[in-house]
Amino acid sequence: MTIVAKKLAGIGQYGLWVARFVRAVITHGPPKGQTLHEAYRIGVKSLPILVIISAFVGTNLALQGYNAFKPIGGQRLVGMFVALAGVREMAPIIAAAMIAAKAGTEMASQIGIMRIREQIDALEVMAVNPLAYLVAPRMIGIMLMLPALTIIAIFVMLTAAYTVSVYQLGLPGHEFIHFASEIIEPVDFLYGAIKAMFFGLIICTISCYHGFHCTKGPEGVGAATNRAVVTSSVICIVLNYFVSELLYGGAL
Amino acid sequence: MINQTPRLVLGICGRVFGARTRPRQNELDTLRCPTMLNSLANIGRFGNFSAQIAVRVGRRPFFYREIIAQLWSTTTQCVLPVMAVTFPFGMVMALQGLEIFRMFGAERMLSSLISIATLRELSPVLASVLVAAQGGSSCAASLGAMRIKEELDATEVMAVDSIKFHVVPRVIAMTIACPLLNIAGSIAGVAGGYFTAVYIKHESGGIFLTELWAFMGPMDIYGGLIKTTIFGLTIGLISCYHGFRATGGAAGVGKAVNDTVVHSVVAFITLNYFLTSALFGAVAP
Repeated sequence: MTIVAKKLAGIGQYGLWVARFVRAVITHGPPKGQTLHEAYRIGVKSLPILVIISAFVGTNLALQGYNAFKPIGGQRLVGMFVALAGVREMAPIIAAAMIAAKAGTEMASQIGIMRIREQIDALEVMAVNPLAYLVAPRMIGIMLMLPALTIIAIFVMLTAAYTVSVYQLGLPGHEFIHFASEIIEPVDFLYGAIKAMFFGLIICTISCYHGFHCTKGPEGVGAATNRAVVTSSVICIVLNYFVSELLYGGAL
Repeated sequence: MINQTPRLVLGICGRVFGARTRPRQNELDTLRCPTMLNSLANIGRFGNFSAQIAVRVGRRPFFYREIIAQLWSTTTQCVLPVMAVTFPFGMVMALQGLEIFRMFGAERMLSSLISIATLRELSPVLASVLVAAQGGSSCAASLGAMRIKEELDATEVMAVDSIKFHVVPRVIAMTIACPLLNIAGSIAGVAGGYFTAVYIKHESGGIFLTELWAFMGPMDIYGGLIKTTIFGLTIGLISCYHGFRATGGAAGVGKAVNDTVVHSVVAFITLNYFLTSALFGAVAP
């Protein structure tokens, strides 16, 4: 019972924290100065890792699609499978999970260290709102960069899948492109970007929340970082279903 | 002149790679060299660390209690996140898969596609991502905190091998826990697909369950388990490496956790491609 009560209390605290954050952003206006720096740190520093991961996810999508459709003689449909699974679901999820693992943990540990070194208290003493000064630039940075990273991930994934299916599986390349382009519509990129912005919002608020409520000592920072990455990736994937249902499930 | 030649060569090599020719004494361990050389050095250190673990695995005493305690804590920590991730992914697969199969009027195929995709690929990868995020990072955090508080040094002073007592049980526990969590993840993934297909999209539940094993071979089940065992070993080694080498106070622990998650995810997703090619035989006929 106490565990359930604690979890519920945590959700409530998170909600209150987000409300305070929104109020801080509204009263203090747009953040100045740091936003581009944060965007660079979140986006450009994570790009190499994202490219590696999405390339290998793309290769595996092609392999598994080939294996799944081979028993019914439909191995030519690999392009369609990769386009559907990769563009719509895997690319936004992989980008979000990678950003949660790289930038989210960095946010949580940076803010957590500021908390235990009492730098956040120092900011408050200087009448600077820490939520507007520390969290808002990161929020804008991640919401700018995550859609871009998602679209890069889509292209890398498709290129890798094409390479594997032509050079490893020996399928004709023009059929891959034909079936893929039949499935992919321009609006898919927009939906991917919408999903990514949504995920960015969640990753940033959860990571910064855990950083802000970090307890003393080295274990505190470690635990905060740990909880930040697990909670944000689980919530992103759970919410992905509802966003997909909303965007693709015929509700719109 | 002859005596100067090796130094000259070293100096030129150093300039080419951008390394400082003569490292300062206190920097010898963390050579301040640019990224490439540094990451190569890290790979070497990681290999060295793994070898030290490998040497100690077969040697007495085996700390059974420590292994079981670590296994229990890793499994209980990770089982809920893993199932919470694979369940919605199964739901999404059913949602998108139905759209394809309805084009061809082949809704019957849905469940065999879901079960194959989940058992072979999705559940191993997602379970390992979550094990890296939850188990690996908490392992790195606890080892890093022990290093910062000099508890590891205290263990050494008490004539207990710190790698043997703290690191080996964690690596073994991670290697065993990952396949177990993969089983839980696979069950949750297929259940998620069933939930969407039957209760939301109103397909027939009986057909779903009949077709579930239509294309399934024994290799599909063992393949996922073999893969996750290797992924678990990778995650355990990487997380213990980063935790064991943490320096510089609380910030060092945060960095160790961050590096653990990123490096282990990159490592096992790269391995995954080669394992999939090898296990499921996807080569041009």
